[in-house]
Amino acid sequence: MSWVILIVDDSATTRALVRDEFEAKGARVLEAENGKEGLWRLRAEPVDLIVCDIHMPVMDGLQMIQELRKLPEHATTPVFVLTSDAAVTRAAEGKKAGANAWVVKPINAASLWKAVEKALFGKPSRSGRPASPRGNES
Amino acid sequence: MISDRQVLVVDGAEGALSGVMDELHELGFRVIWVPTIAAALEFVSASPRLSLVLVSAAAAQLGGPEFLNGVKALRPALRIIWGVRADATRIRKRRPSLDTLLPEPVGAGTLRETLSSLLAECFYPSSISSAVKTAALEVLGTWGEFEIEGDSFLVPNHSALSELSAIIGFSGQATGQLLISMSSTDAKALHRRMLPSTLAVATDRLEDLVGELCNQILGRINAFFSRYSCDVQQTTPLFIRSAGSSLRYAGQHPSFGIQLVSGQTSISLEYYLADFDKSKLLVGTADQVMNAGEVHFL
Repeated sequence: MSWVILIVDDSATTRALVRDEFEAKGARVLEAENGKEGLWRLRAEPVDLIVCDIHMPVMDGLQMIQELRKLPEHATTPVFVLTSDAAVTRAAEGKKAGANAWVVKPINAASLWKAVEKALFGKPSRSGRPASPRGNES
Repeated sequence: MISDRQVLVVDGAEGALSGVMDELHELGFRVIWVPTIAAALEFVSASPRLSLVLVSAAAAQLGGPEFLNGVKALRPALRIIWGVRADATRIRKRRPSLDTLLPEPVGAGTLRETLSSLLAECFYPSSISSAVKTAALEVLGTWGEFEIEGDSFLVPNHSALSELSAIIGFSGQATGQLLISMSSTDAKALHRRMLPSTLAVATDRLEDLVGELCNQILGRINAFFSRYSCDVQQTTPLFIRSAGSSLRYAGQHPSFGIQLVSGQTSISLEYYLADFDKSKLLVGTADQVMNAGEVHFL
């Protein structure tokens, strides 16, 4: 099964980088530019894991996480915060909001995918779609 | 923080260093001019905040060795730039204790270069300048082999912009901004390295790339402050698309600049630290920060 991952970041560059890496591993990637759009995507489609930035216009990442945790279907969905902020104290704020992991930019694609696999280990895809033809090469 | 930096210029009336005053002022220094060596020595003994002394060749002829001895006795670490008319190498051999010799007439470029190398430490302590360089090389290192071209330099609060620029402000226990600027050709080259599968790239995407680069570098610089328990927050980027223009901001001292290169690709970085209590760097690191690329499960 192909995992569906939502990447929420106002930077098209970051979204493209993550999308390319995840799609190469067989995931299906959805994109949103801010927290509000991210919540809309989450209500519209099944998602297995969320990767989101913190500083975004319209709605920031921590606010989006707090909102999505109120949705019963996403109460336990893994959420990775992808940010340039490396302070451990700030990561604690992410945990309080409901995030599961804190990832510091620039990303290390291999480490990030390994963490995705760890977070989704044993969980079937919510989309029920078969894996992408590009397959999982790891 | 450091707006009270003073430079003492020792020169006769309408002397060779008259044009230098404006340049120093532009770089954020408070310039004090005295016409004689005797007055200069008096000022040195009375001003603990003095960063640098410039002595014209004419003034140096009227008591240069005495002035040098006097300054070294009063303030051994104070830097002195000596204007010279004769061959600089020959004079340096004769007076090996001289800091820097600057040929007269003093050109703006030469002066700025000399001041940058001598005074960067006044505005940006080596730990901070090193953090800026390390951050830039660390982030760009994920996209290619970059190096810093030449030395770092000081830039007045009047930045020359390339075609695509991004600026991100930061606030908290350190305030200021980071500016990244490059040509669209260089941005395209960088984009090709990052996302080789994307063939055609719109200018908006190139702007976004510059902004993201700025964001990531500033994030790594701020990680340095986090180690000293300094809370610094950064904003989202502002984008400027304007070749050949300049940006003037309300800075009271120069920015710290470096030029990063990889092959034909060149990127300008200007870091402006407006306010920061440098004494925080003396207490030693306390807080933990995460490495770039690290995944930290919460």
